[in-house]
Amino acid sequence: MMDLTKTPRRIALGLEGSANKLGIGVILHSGPSLSSSSATVLSNIRHTFVSPPGTGFLPKDTAAHHRSFFVRIAKQALAAADVSISEMDCICYTKGPGMGAPLTSVAVAARTLALLWDKPLVGVNHCVGHIEMGRAITGASHPVVLYVSGGNTQVIAYAEQRYRIFGEALDIAVGNCLDRFARTLKIPNDPAPGYNIEQLAKQGGRVLLDLPYTVKGMDCSFSGILTRADELAAMMEKGTGKGPDGEPFTPADLCFSLQETIFAMLVEITERAMAHVGSNQVLIVGGVGCNERLQEMMGAMAKDRGGSVYATDERFCIDNGIMIAHAGLLAYETGFRTPIEESTCTQRFRTDEVLVKWRK
Amino acid sequence: MATESLEYPCALTLNVPFPDARLASVALRALQVDKELSSLVKRDLSVAQDEESHLRVEYKATTNRMLRVAVNSFFDSLALVLEVMEELDVDVMEARKASEAKTP
Repeated sequence: MMDLTKTPRRIALGLEGSANKLGIGVILHSGPSLSSSSATVLSNIRHTFVSPPGTGFLPKDTAAHHRSFFVRIAKQALAAADVSISEMDCICYTKGPGMGAPLTSVAVAARTLALLWDKPLVGVNHCVGHIEMGRAITGASHPVVLYVSGGNTQVIAYAEQRYRIFGEALDIAVGNCLDRFARTLKIPNDPAPGYNIEQLAKQGGRVLLDLPYTVKGMDCSFSGILTRADELAAMMEKGTGKGPDGEPFTPADLCFSLQETIFAMLVEITERAMAHVGSNQVLIVGGVGCNERLQEMMGAMAKDRGGSVYATDERFCIDNGIMIAHAGLLAYETGFRTPIEESTCTQRFRTDEVLVKWRK
Repeated sequence: MATESLEYPCALTLNVPFPDARLASVALRALQVDKELSSLVKRDLSVAQDEESHLRVEYKATTNRMLRVAVNSFFDSLALVLEVMEELDVDVMEARKASEAKTP
């Protein structure tokens, strides 16, 4: 194992492409040891594959996007960080979970770079990347983590060197529910479908439409809500949809009702996890974590419990390369390496499979 | 093997030349990690015995369609590897940095 006292500065390149964002970033850890080290973002560049309104991003097209932008984004990230290759300690890439083809496209480039530059490779769990970046940015020491994105919905708490999953989505992820409803309404996917739903929801709120709120123990289900929201959208289209007040409802009312319902479910399971763990900090990570209404609702709950909510902005919430660099470098500092021969990708890679050696 | 050529009758062998043995080896190691997703396709990558700067790619598949899909996907990955080599190899990066330093 490396002697950390002799290397007060460690630098890692992070490569992320598990979904429709290609993210490349460079992080610097300084300080003599794991416990006292501080993380500095040297660069964090992202390029998003945006599909036309009414459509989602398909694995093949997304992988092609990542391949065609990889060199361009890598050059930008390296130039912005202004570090030389010799200063770089390791190259970190997303091993999973995510979509197979996009993951593999970035892994191929990661291996090539590691071999060309003669640097060790570190495979990173995408979810752990989100959690560690969230902790580093907000300073939340021992939070219950709500990880909400287009592909993942998990309530997580740390115990004995694992991020333990307390509750999760039983079917589709919360972000997938939002993304697909945006497709139903033909809302643009630029900059993000969820962002556009959030903006539209601000104009709604005259009525709260009834959607099947589904919490089962610590878990949630979103597919029934999506089906019902799609049905209501079809009724609205035909002009037959009426709200509880007998008046027609609008796309904004639908977006508002969808957000209120699914976020209330997330707040419920998060609160229960906080009660179990005895924590009054909530850290929200993942793309849906940018949603200010979710942050507001979570904040109200945390305040009632005498605690607070920790969230980051879109630079760190939405998939990015820097979180992969950061989590990878933490693992690297404990001696973790991914040999080239084993540097595969995996679509399924649960958060609790990772041994979190860098925490006590 | 006779049985294998019966089961996988559609074959394609490629010889990809690289500037030197180092780059051929990098391409080999970067590309051989991901297994073929379909059991209907077999792939064998090696650095050519007689020519160390050549990457030898042997594909065998049950149908021409499977062969085409697999080889196309291989070319996509190979193109990325080549682009990374051309643009981000150590000497290229150093040369770029040096020329940027001269013309601020």
